[in-house]
Amino acid sequence: MSLRIQENGKAEREPAVKTDVKEEGRYLYCIVEARERVSLGKIGIEGEEVYTLPHKDICAVVHNCLAQPYRSDDHELIEAWVINHQKVVDTAWERWGVVLPLSFDTIVKGETADSTEQNLKTWLEHEYQNLKMKMEKVRERAEYGVQVFWDLRLAAQDLTETSPEIKKLDEEIKTKPRGLAYMYRQKLENLVKKGLETKADECFKDFYFRIREHAHDVRVEKIKNTEPGWQMILNLSCLVHKDKCRELGEELESINQIKGFSVRFTGPWPPYSFVGSA
Amino acid sequence: MVVDIDEKSLKQGVLGLVIAIVEVITDALKLQAMRRMEGGSLTEEEIERLGQALMDLDVAIEEIKQEQALIETVKSVRDGLDGIVDDVLDKMLNPQRWGEEAKQ
Repeated sequence: MSLRIQENGKAEREPAVKTDVKEEGRYLYCIVEARERVSLGKIGIEGEEVYTLPHKDICAVVHNCLAQPYRSDDHELIEAWVINHQKVVDTAWERWGVVLPLSFDTIVKGETADSTEQNLKTWLEHEYQNLKMKMEKVRERAEYGVQVFWDLRLAAQDLTETSPEIKKLDEEIKTKPRGLAYMYRQKLENLVKKGLETKADECFKDFYFRIREHAHDVRVEKIKNTEPGWQMILNLSCLVHKDKCRELGEELESINQIKGFSVRFTGPWPPYSFVGSA
Repeated sequence: MVVDIDEKSLKQGVLGLVIAIVEVITDALKLQAMRRMEGGSLTEEEIERLGQALMDLDVAIEEIKQEQALIETVKSVRDGLDGIVDDVLDKMLNPQRWGEEAKQ
């Protein structure tokens, strides 16, 4: 038996749109601080030529495309597109230093090549102050990812040894019959879980403020658990001045030295998390 | 979205879903049992019986999961459920998300 489910028949309609409408589009990678129209070569998504479109002292980094989003059911293809997008942003970042990355699949449309370019320029003009302000914010700064993990087993063991309540319960269980021992063990597990949550919260606050000292701005990201045995207790995106990166590294190293804790420090990245609406 | 389902994975999926739901119910039972135990409304003997029953249930579910190779399926159903609950709570606790969603 084989079932095929299609979302509102959307997938069937899309190809028709693709062939009928040939509206122009400009795929946007990022905004940079530059004045000239230059080509970066055929480094874009699907090998498109990437170039800069200037307005005053800022440029949009774009390629020519049709006015429709890049969509596919093939996850590997989408991944390849997104990686390609990031590579272009990286290249622009290396070249011009100040870059405001846009998210994947940002497209400006128009009827003809000229009107599309005009639409993009109008947008740059309209957003000019805002974009310049954001550029000041990220100038000389880069984004770093900071994740702190703890060894869950070690943390639980530590808690069992230091909390008198848990220790006492742990001793009691050994003397109980089977059914009672089971119930008390559930109770013990709940206590350990609550204790760990409180401890993780304390660690989060401690580390957060220590890291905050060295960063211009910090965003708290969602906790993701991917590694068995290690639990993520803090996930931050930090906007850090290039002169302060070393200090931050040292601070993180001192957290990494604490027994049972592990720090992942990644970057520098273009400031993806700090160009949003806030 | 295109989903391909063959008969074998359909059976696995349904069984996995059933076991995941049984696990969720068991967790709720345990919580209730714990409340009563701590509230002092159960005698020592009753707690012993309750504990044994819940323990046997745990063992039985574990056995079924092993025999039917359902450990991964059940885990993914439960992670999925956790994800949904997380999102709902997140939305309820952070009203600014409503605005963000409306914008999209």
